[in-house]
Amino acid sequence: MTLRSKSLFAADPHIQSRKRADARFKLYGLAAILAGLALLAVLLGTVIGNGLGAFQQSYLTLEVELLESKLDKNGNRDIEEIKKVTTFGYDPLLTAAAERLIETQNIQTDLRAKDIAKLLSKSAVSDLRDFVVADTSRIGRTVSFDFLVNARVDGYLKGRVTRESIADDKMISAEQLDAVDQLVAAGALVKRFNLDFILGSDASDQRPEAAGIGTAMLGSLAMMLVVLVLTLPVGVSASIYLEEFAPKNRLTDLIEVNISNLAAVPSIVFGILGLAVFINILHLPMSAPLVGGLVLSLMTLPTIIISSRAAMKSVPPSIRDAALGVGASRMQAVFHHVLPLAAPGILTGTIIGLAQALGETAPLLLIGMVGFIASTTPETMGDALLAPNSALPAQIFEWAKRADPAFYERAWGGIIVLLVFLVAMNAVAILLRRRFERRW
Amino acid sequence: MSASKISARACNVFYGDTHAIKGVNVDIGSKSVTAFIGPSGCGKSTFLRCLNRMNDTIDTCRVEGTITLDGENIYDPRVDPVTLRARVGMVFQKPNPFPKSIFDNVAYGPKIHGMAKSKSDLRDIVENALRRAAIWDEVKDRLDAPGTGLSGGQQQRLCIARAIATQPEVLLMDEPCSALDPIATFQIEELIDDLAKNISVVIVTHSMQQAARVSQKTAFFHLGELVEFGDTDDIFTNPSDPRTESYITGRIG
Ligand SMILES: Nc1ncnc2c1ncn2[C@@H]1O[C@H](COP(=O)(O)OP(=O)(O)OP(=O)(O)O)[C@@H](O)[C@H]1O
Ligand SMILES: [Mg+2]
Repeated sequence: MTLRSKSLFAADPHIQSRKRADARFKLYGLAAILAGLALLAVLLGTVIGNGLGAFQQSYLTLEVELLESKLDKNGNRDIEEIKKVTTFGYDPLLTAAAERLIETQNIQTDLRAKDIAKLLSKSAVSDLRDFVVADTSRIGRTVSFDFLVNARVDGYLKGRVTRESIADDKMISAEQLDAVDQLVAAGALVKRFNLDFILGSDASDQRPEAAGIGTAMLGSLAMMLVVLVLTLPVGVSASIYLEEFAPKNRLTDLIEVNISNLAAVPSIVFGILGLAVFINILHLPMSAPLVGGLVLSLMTLPTIIISSRAAMKSVPPSIRDAALGVGASRMQAVFHHVLPLAAPGILTGTIIGLAQALGETAPLLLIGMVGFIASTTPETMGDALLAPNSALPAQIFEWAKRADPAFYERAWGGIIVLLVFLVAMNAVAILLRRRFERRW
Repeated sequence: MSASKISARACNVFYGDTHAIKGVNVDIGSKSVTAFIGPSGCGKSTFLRCLNRMNDTIDTCRVEGTITLDGENIYDPRVDPVTLRARVGMVFQKPNPFPKSIFDNVAYGPKIHGMAKSKSDLRDIVENALRRAAIWDEVKDRLDAPGTGLSGGQQQRLCIARAIATQPEVLLMDEPCSALDPIATFQIEELIDDLAKNISVVIVTHSMQQAARVSQKTAFFHLGELVEFGDTDDIFTNPSDPRTESYITGRIG
């Protein structure tokens, strides 16, 4: 038995040691949080440092004379005939425009106009062709057009490509870089924000500067829609049944254990299941977001069921008693009282499940969404679900494994988009939760 | 007092292996007040919950014997517990208001039973119930405030208001005054007197005085058995069982 000191002011050694233990524990906690924050800062710093470049692109402004003699030989503006002019037909226009650029900006170079035109992206001609086909009245006029420059030049402006690093590069020469320096000084070649990265489609290996993540984003969005539409009603009904109506016996115990186990099954297993069932047996199209969504739904369902059940279990039984006590049916008790109280928890579980699904790459590998070059933007809702597409993480993976370092930058940029997507989803969840909580 | 409203015959209740109620026979009269008394854990709440089948919600709970309401067995497979509970209302031992507004708490029952023809009808029902439960003056200015934000005693009266708003034929009250001050207790006892003009009321209480004041019949439970059941005056003045006598005089409990 310890003797207590009489005065409240006297320091008791026992209490002092307890106080020190308190302080130590607080310190550990604080240190853990600081370490976590530091890691987060490193992560965000790296992602932003590497990926921000993808949101900017360099453009060269050229005055192009859209010669009628090249584009519309008969002069009758027949759209079918104009469409027949291939990109080769546009090449001379660009060379001529480059020639004019050298003269007007007074560029000192030994290079021929053709070599200056090579600074442009390989997609420059087709961009110009699309521009003309979109509005044939432009033929015969001289238009000012911002062309994407190729990834080397763009990398030079961003500091990724240096004069040393291009020593053995066949794609670009030191003379061309000299010209680039002068063009930048003249204001003809500028680096600016590139909306096409966010909205555009993937491009082939030779044109990293034209690649965008928008189409893959639509793929992910379509999959999330499928997952949400399938898993939320199914998951919530399953958990309502299991939690509120199912008798507690061996069978329901077995079901419960299996659902928990399903949540821990590696996602690639769901992928191969999807391949076997949805594609080989049901003959759904390969690489379609619908199939991706179905596979991810299988993966997400256990998560949603588990969290919904936990949310409903945490609603005090006295609330159910109260409802039943005034003569409500079990359905009424669940829908009027239990579900509204469980809604925030169900929402949180759903968002966690969706976030997991959004970042999942492995199952998409097996149904052909990884590696698919998503180069055309789907036009209709049906296309968005059934036409082959990629997904955000799949697109990032695809870029990261391509050779050109310009794609590497885009992979980081894709990570930023993915993270923003996640943050947006969480924000929606928080807003919804607030709404529900206000209604208690 | 007239014919019995509820009769229990050879009623046994088990929680898993625990035998909580042992062969209870009791008749609860219509338009009267019956009090259940007995030491803590003797099964008063358990038996009360049998009378409107609230024990159905407890998985381990098993009820044997017959309990009839107006001569019909309430445990008959044809009986829908929802219909039964609409006729036999309940005030629980622990106040359990819905986490909704005070108004919605009281309005919920009348709403699901379609008792109000219009919004103003509903408002009248709610006001009347709150008035009778002696809480109207305290909440009339904040009917939109959450019921869970009230004090313990206020919550108890809110739950009473909720139970009487559906106009049951039998009202089961499990220690309805446990958290109330003497004035509120008096008001609730007046309510019980008033209710008993039309319906039968069963009240569980730990207060002998309260049982003596409000009830016409008293049942004394001990360790799951119904030891004694009879006119309240007889039980308190002339108990036939020694256990009853020691309980009401404060020697066991
Ligand atoms: N849900 C339950 N599961 C298992 N046993 C229970 C359950 N509810 C009550 N019991 C048991 O049944 C017996 C009677 O409990 P009951 O709640 O009916 O007592 P009571 O008379 O209402 O007591 P009090 O006056 O304290 O409220 C007790 O022994 C208790 O342990
Ligand atoms: Mg009790």
